[in-house]
Amino acid sequence: MKTPAEATDEQIIDRGIEDGAAKLTQDKVKRVVQKMLAAEGGARLKTYIETCAHCGLCSEACHFYISNDKDPAYSPAGKIKQTIGEIVKKRGNVSVDFIKTACEISFTECNLCRRCVMYCPFGIDAAYMMLFMRRICHKLGVVPQYIQDTAHSHSATLNQMWVKEDEWIDTLHWQEEEARDEIPGLRIPIEKEGADIFYSVIGPEPKFRAQLIYQAAVIMHAAGVDWTMPATPGWDNSDMCMYTGDVEMMARLKKVHFETAMRLKTKRIVMGECGHAFRSVHDVGNRYLGWKMAPLPVIHAIEFFYELLRDRKIRIKKKFQKPVTFHDPCNIVRGRGLHEKARYVIHQTCKAFIEMHPNREHNYCCSAGGGVINCGPPFRKKRVTGNRVKADQLEAVKAKGAEIVIAPCHNCHGGLEDIIKHYELGMELKFLGDIIYECMEKE
Amino acid sequence: MHAIYEIVSGPMVWLAAIIFILGSLYRLIFMGRLAAKKDPMVFSYLSVYYSLRSIFHWIIPFASVNMRKHPIMTVVAFAFHICLFAVPIFLCAHIILINEAWQVKWWYLPNPIADVMTLIVIGACIFFLGRRLLLREVRYLTTFSDFLILAGVAAPFVTGFWSYHQYPGHETAAILHIISGEIILVMIPFTRLSHMLFFPFLRGYAGSEFGAVRNAVDW
Amino acid sequence: MVVYSEKETGVETKHLLMLPAIGLVILALSVIAAYSQGDIPFVKDSAFENPRRPPVAFYHDEHNEKAGLLECNGCHHVYENGKKLESSASVGMECSQCHLASENNSAIDLIRVYHLQCRGCHLKKNAGPILCGQCHQKNDN
Repeated sequence: MKTPAEATDEQIIDRGIEDGAAKLTQDKVKRVVQKMLAAEGGARLKTYIETCAHCGLCSEACHFYISNDKDPAYSPAGKIKQTIGEIVKKRGNVSVDFIKTACEISFTECNLCRRCVMYCPFGIDAAYMMLFMRRICHKLGVVPQYIQDTAHSHSATLNQMWVKEDEWIDTLHWQEEEARDEIPGLRIPIEKEGADIFYSVIGPEPKFRAQLIYQAAVIMHAAGVDWTMPATPGWDNSDMCMYTGDVEMMARLKKVHFETAMRLKTKRIVMGECGHAFRSVHDVGNRYLGWKMAPLPVIHAIEFFYELLRDRKIRIKKKFQKPVTFHDPCNIVRGRGLHEKARYVIHQTCKAFIEMHPNREHNYCCSAGGGVINCGPPFRKKRVTGNRVKADQLEAVKAKGAEIVIAPCHNCHGGLEDIIKHYELGMELKFLGDIIYECMEKE
Repeated sequence: MHAIYEIVSGPMVWLAAIIFILGSLYRLIFMGRLAAKKDPMVFSYLSVYYSLRSIFHWIIPFASVNMRKHPIMTVVAFAFHICLFAVPIFLCAHIILINEAWQVKWWYLPNPIADVMTLIVIGACIFFLGRRLLLREVRYLTTFSDFLILAGVAAPFVTGFWSYHQYPGHETAAILHIISGEIILVMIPFTRLSHMLFFPFLRGYAGSEFGAVRNAVDW
Repeated sequence: MVVYSEKETGVETKHLLMLPAIGLVILALSVIAAYSQGDIPFVKDSAFENPRRPPVAFYHDEHNEKAGLLECNGCHHVYENGKKLESSASVGMECSQCHLASENNSAIDLIRVYHLQCRGCHLKKNAGPILCGQCHQKNDN
């Protein structure tokens, strides 16, 4: 059995894991795990573990497995074996070092992309198993430092990036001002009660990528959409707590998000181009709040753009000229089936589109999602070398002429950016919003 | 011989059948109740249409991407599972015994075909054993119990073949055949062979989540 | 003869443990069914057109002497309205004449009564062959 450190030939030291583990004893691990198994280890966990026939057919679904020279320790079932499988087998009687390793595996060697669920003949949900492991780590206080920091930000500020309330409003005003230089009549309507659309974004947009809010405002303006953004917390739809195993906090974040949209009496929520946030709002967070589906319609940017183009709300002045390819993000393709709508948007806006292979539900993960990129620099090399197959996939589509990679997901952008740089692929990354903004008639 | 035969072909068959049926029911009911208690959302999301869509998709050879990626495994696995069920249920000799006991009868396989199908099961078991020993990703996951289960599955077919062809010791083989058949029945609910019981539920749940919630396919 | 011997069983158990499964497969393909035809009397019934198993050797007189069967109608019975007629016997008739008379019956039901007749008695008396291969022998050595 390999230890994760061997994979990158160097010991990764993460303060969150080390300091958390220093406070543990084997006895405490056992107590916490047994309590967790008794409280939350239900039929799914039990059936998944007892049904797995150890056939190994899930292996080739995983980009970590393929990229690490088919090291079986990186196969989905292999990772389960080293983490939650062993914990269930030993009923929590595992060492503190085991928890450290299991934490590293579950947080940084699995993107929860669920590709393997489509490869398992039983449909065993390896992502669920990894999340269960992460939740045990969360309960034990052993979580990589960087992602725990974002979780702290979530609990303190209700957004991911420690953005204060006035900074948020300032950012919206600033982007409105900037955009009015280009389009004088443009507004970013804040706190507009009864608007059709509640537009929510992830924390990093006001923090690092404010131009995305600008672009969204331009698109909304051109399409004549009745929209608004809140002045209060609840504007951030992202959710790293979903990935640290802090489900209580995750539910609280989703509650604030939904309630803010409802306080403003909006008809539906449109989300920016983010994958994990969509997963948390559409699929996960609502469940922990007792909603089978989200209490009001939740639309991802892809679907929104699709509607705008289909209904001729926005018109394309001149199609995007450079040949593009499309990276299907797991959370909105395997998680919402938006792949055909995305392709519709691309065909409407771009001159040349080249598919990468595999694609749609079978696309390889960016290796950034599932909170892996949020575990920060200590794990960066492992994340990038652990996705060589993505580089091969991009290189193949580049050879066919693609120059631009469209990825309608923030995490995918982060992951692909690192991959493009590390493997010197020389491709450019764009959001769908970037393309639409560039090619649309703005007045 | 008479005493052993009477025990293994009489009370032990009943015992094995009762353990198999009650054990399976217990496992399914227990799991269902546990799910209702701990994962009640499973039932909220179960969709009959998407469950069946997924189940049917996964019981058709080569219908899923992963099956096409592993053509040999797909052929072997399907042939194995079909023969595994068809031979015991549609074997002429078994039906004769059942007819003797209860005067019920149904369609049966010609003996030469049943013979070939038995060889397919045994051959597939050897193939699976080979995978477990030779393929790195399978060997990594394999535990000792996996070998035991494989041996348990192969045993009734090896002994049945032996007994049918009257190789030396076929009387002993016949007794072992009955015993090993009983053992595998008892094993089904309580080992990983329970995938036979849980397959439709796991597949159905995965299909429901992928289809109804995520608007995507799961193959 | 049809009766197995204990000595053989002992030897064969050892074989059983020794031969690996692969050997079995190869053996199976190479086995040629060779019946040594001679003066061995077999159980016959014209209703069995394409027998699936080798015929069963049956030495009538030796069997009855060993089994202590004196009455013919112990085996060659006659039933009327569900009752056995103690004074009648069906010697000279084929079993199928009665047991295949019903339209619902097929060869498998005839097999049933043969098996019940032979094996049923063997089990009751704790003597004689009971397993498939003990009667339906591929060869008689």
